[in-house]
Amino acid sequence: MTSRTVVWLVARREITAKLRDKGFLLSTAFILALIVGSAVLPVAFSGGSSTYDVGVVGNTGQLEAAVLAQADAGGLDVELRAYDDTDAAKSAVAAEQVVAAIDGGQVVVDSSLDPALERVLNAAAGMLVAQERLAEAGIDPAEVAEALSVPPLEVVPLDTDAERNAQRQFIAFLGVVVLYGLMILIGQYVAMGVVEEKSSRVVELLLSTIKPWQLLAGKVIGLGLLGLAQLLLICVAGLAAAIAFDVLAVPGDAIGAMAHVIGWFILGYALYAALFATGAALVSRQEDLQTVLMPLIGILVAAFVVAIQAAQNPDGVLARITSLVPALSPMVMPVRSAAGAVAWWELVLAVVLNLVAIALVIRLGGRVYAGALLRTGGKVKIKDALAGS
Amino acid sequence: MLEFDSVTKSYGGTVVLDDLSFAIQSGQMFGFCGANGAGKTTAMRIALGLVRACRGEVRWNGRTIDLEMRRRIGYMPEERGLYPKMRVLDQLTYFGMLHGMTKTAAHDSALPLIDRLGVNQRTGEALEKLSLGNQQKVQLAAALVHMPEVLILDEPFSGLDPVGVDALADVLLERCRAGVPVVFSSHQLDLVERLCDSVGIINGGRMVAQGSVNELREREGNRQLRVVVLDASPGWAAQVRGVHVLSQQGSEVLLELDDPARDQEVLAAAQRTGRVQHFSWRAPTLTELFREAVAA
Repeated sequence: MTSRTVVWLVARREITAKLRDKGFLLSTAFILALIVGSAVLPVAFSGGSSTYDVGVVGNTGQLEAAVLAQADAGGLDVELRAYDDTDAAKSAVAAEQVVAAIDGGQVVVDSSLDPALERVLNAAAGMLVAQERLAEAGIDPAEVAEALSVPPLEVVPLDTDAERNAQRQFIAFLGVVVLYGLMILIGQYVAMGVVEEKSSRVVELLLSTIKPWQLLAGKVIGLGLLGLAQLLLICVAGLAAAIAFDVLAVPGDAIGAMAHVIGWFILGYALYAALFATGAALVSRQEDLQTVLMPLIGILVAAFVVAIQAAQNPDGVLARITSLVPALSPMVMPVRSAAGAVAWWELVLAVVLNLVAIALVIRLGGRVYAGALLRTGGKVKIKDALAGS
Repeated sequence: MLEFDSVTKSYGGTVVLDDLSFAIQSGQMFGFCGANGAGKTTAMRIALGLVRACRGEVRWNGRTIDLEMRRRIGYMPEERGLYPKMRVLDQLTYFGMLHGMTKTAAHDSALPLIDRLGVNQRTGEALEKLSLGNQQKVQLAAALVHMPEVLILDEPFSGLDPVGVDALADVLLERCRAGVPVVFSSHQLDLVERLCDSVGIINGGRMVAQGSVNELREREGNRQLRVVVLDASPGWAAQVRGVHVLSQQGSEVLLELDDPARDQEVLAAAQRTGRVQHFSWRAPTLTELFREAVAA
């Protein structure tokens, strides 16, 4: 049997076992819901315009008409309620039935007035006063109204890329969150699988017929393919939701950013999975697993924090340096790439350095893994594992 | 022929196997006996490549055992273990495939095996849902599923009920008759005596006795004479020259003779003192041979 056949057999077992595992299926569904939710939620929160309830004291039809006209011009939704006297209006404000009440030359509010609403009310009051004074001066009210209706100014943005950049950064940020979550999740699967084989002792039977590296490679590749499938599913679902809800202005940018995220997932996962598997081989019980994984998860958390920082400042010194450091680069580089500020040599250097790190970890970690697998009981020291391999 | 040739292993300063050599012919069943910690498991692990010998090697038909050869060995580790959450049939099929079988062949081989070993639960269940005895049977099936050319089993009978023991013995004898050399370790020496063509007793990493059970008996010099005489005068046997009384219980005595050829003199003495009901050379059991060999 060739090594490829053996590795593929092991990988296929990992995939089948996980696809039958309810926990895995549930976690996939959860991540999907989270991603679709994060694409749709901003729409739900910002897209829907809110309504302002405003009280008016006395019967002042002209004022009401002016407020509604200004609110319409300002894109605000204002609903008016009439009150007989000041006290009634004040108690309505206090009871939060209305956000503000207009009483002659005053506006009664609970504590402060929304600036947008304030502009509308002031403009309405100002227009009313202007109309009155012009009417007093003998000008026809119809002419006044026409003279005062001015079309709003047209907005001409100079930086047309601003929105696009913000969108790219948002996608990159989302990508980092997904990368982080998936690497922790799949990395833990690898580690738990290694410990399961040790604690159930099935590893002795396995190693009597296959080599340690074949077992390691099969496990990492199998679970990695599952992780990749999850990632693709997340990308497709996220993209579909974003397009359906019209969140994305330029889907092309999003696809480019996703391609970077997927590429870096493969590089980052290979490194972390090998590290996680090596650490897991040192212990024999699931209870002891967290102790050995803690420092590794620490590196991942650090990478995550730096990547979040890089999303805000992609050209900063910290972002530029960490986007080259193996183990950190898989999280930081996709953020910088999304912001569009990466020189080609930086990208190549980051990939090469990460590949070198993967080769080193697999070589050294593979020896620790092989040496520690058949030692059960307490925690195996790395030194002893290397001596035993 | 499966050969262990001068296999030596030490951890730190402790010698676990000391120049261990023995051979098992094709179609032979070899019982590997020894106290706990004598080195049986280490010897088997070395054959499977799980532990590296410091010196010496294990050969199959004259060739050093390599990974390709190991795929054709059936192995049952002392520390039992399969995937707890994997279904029984899937599991056996997987191990068959890891040993180079096609999926169909592995599946077709696993099914009758499960049936024969008496795993009387649904094969679609996860292993952990089975009783411990049935898990043990599945473990045996995992060692047998790929029709191995050599069988190396570490304590295969421990934990089985008498019916399970018979079922396993049956399968092993069948494979043995088909020309497969079978090595198994066991503390159940009556079982070893019954099943094995050849026995090896290991003590402190050294082979202290080896051969068929009969050969071991022959080699054992001081055989015992069991005599039952009714109405005998007490102490009759001690008066016969060259006789040592090992034990006396009612009318039964167990004797050791300086010269076994003079057994007829003992019989004559017995007949003089009373009615002889029983007179025989007693064959030592493997347990006694084992105690003797380990004590020496």
